[in-house]
Amino acid sequence: MAMVATSAHDTGKSRAARNWRPDRSTVISMLSVAVFFILWQLAPEMGWVNGRFTSQPTQVLVAAIDVILNDDFFYHARISLAEFSLGFALALVVSIPLGVLLGTSRTARHLIDPPLMALYVAPTLVLLPILVVSLGIGMASKVAIVFLNALFPIVVNTIAGMSEADPKLIRAARSFGASKLDVFVRILLPGSLPSILTGIRLAVGRGVMGVVVGELFVSQAGIGYQLNTYGSAMRIDRLLVYALVVSVFGYLLTVSVRALENRVSTWRPE
Amino acid sequence: MITDVFMRRQALILGTMSFIIIGVLWQLVVDFGIVNPFFISTPGAVWQELLVQLQDGSLLVNTAATLYSFALALGLAVVVGIGLGVLAGWFRDAEAALEPFIWFKYSAPTVAFYPLFVAWLGYGTPTIVAIAFLFALTPIYANTLSGIKNVDRDLKRVATSFGARPHDIFFRIALPGAVPVIVAGLRLGVGRALTGVVVAELFGANAGLGYSIAYYAQMLQTSRMMVPIVTVILLGVILTQALSYIEKRTEAWRVVHDN
Repeated sequence: MAMVATSAHDTGKSRAARNWRPDRSTVISMLSVAVFFILWQLAPEMGWVNGRFTSQPTQVLVAAIDVILNDDFFYHARISLAEFSLGFALALVVSIPLGVLLGTSRTARHLIDPPLMALYVAPTLVLLPILVVSLGIGMASKVAIVFLNALFPIVVNTIAGMSEADPKLIRAARSFGASKLDVFVRILLPGSLPSILTGIRLAVGRGVMGVVVGELFVSQAGIGYQLNTYGSAMRIDRLLVYALVVSVFGYLLTVSVRALENRVSTWRPE
Repeated sequence: MITDVFMRRQALILGTMSFIIIGVLWQLVVDFGIVNPFFISTPGAVWQELLVQLQDGSLLVNTAATLYSFALALGLAVVVGIGLGVLAGWFRDAEAALEPFIWFKYSAPTVAFYPLFVAWLGYGTPTIVAIAFLFALTPIYANTLSGIKNVDRDLKRVATSFGARPHDIFFRIALPGAVPVIVAGLRLGVGRALTGVVVAELFGANAGLGYSIAYYAQMLQTSRMMVPIVTVILLGVILTQALSYIEKRTEAWRVVHDN
């Protein structure tokens, strides 16, 4: 929703601003977004498409206010957020130690790598029905699918980070009498932090997807539940409001992790 | 990293062992009554069920349905993704015009728009293909864009001074140089297209592996459900490995810099 408001606004401003500093790419980007919204607004009114199926930016804006004021929005958002946070926290707690273990032990890695890779590249979401059968249709199965979906990118990137450590640094530290623990805490961990954060960033997207898929598959509450409800009721305006809320959430979280990643990447030895 | 480890013999032996260990553990936790087989079935029961589903042809039918949607979606994503990626990589203005949408596509979980596609296209193959197409599009587009855009400047300058026209540079330098990066994008796209197909099939379809997983889950028939689940995981691994192999072969096309 925020996108709708700012882009329309910014385009007007940037046209005026063109006098003092024209950045061609920015102007084109904004024009292109503006054209998209104008077309979206006009198409149903001109009868090019059926407005029942596409809604309109203005309708979505009205629906957004409506949803926030009288649609139990915060109740559903809180449930989805709780499922996501729990599953993601669990994934963090399990995946980083697991990645560290696998990254530092060759045998453990050879033993666990193939099934790990299989689950990393294969669609983990197919396990959702088993989870629903075992854990029921409530929050537990969503927490589990978020956990599973977010787990593997972090494990894989933690392993990669551990094996990226500079062997020269390790050898130097060892010859100055550093213990295994010292090497781990002072060299391996800081050295692999950028890579771990990359894994976390990828996991955010997969975790958000896990919540949505889990709730769309079967649920009694949550954003995905509302998506289903308004989809089958053909309330496209409200459907889009909820879809945009999820998108903005995923976007903000990804951007924050990326910001952290950029700050930490300077730790990496050149 | 995947192939690196797979390549070594030791890795292969330990890897095989790990699958055997998983199978044995799976059987044991059920045999000792730690986990109710109703929830996770047993390797033996799944094997039996695999034979049944192979014999009555249902596994083949479902796999074919999934692969059909997968091929359609991936084909579309390849055409559109590489097309737009080349356009955006070659013309800066095109990149600027597309960027906000791609940027949105990156951050938005595509599945959230699944009910919208159902409203537009109904349940079934068109919706499944649309979702899988959107899943696969982003990495293919992004990699093509960066492949074309990061064309080697020195090569370009040399070609220009020898009188190459823009389309010569495009077809002889930019496009071949971009191939390895594009193939890497395809590898990511393949995995995502499969995920898209199966997830959309879970929600609503009348054939396909995802459909049969959801169907058996509703019947609470865990052993039967495990067969399509294992098949999907296998398909994912095989398709990704195949693309990794192609990626290695095209690696030679990459322009190497000697400093």
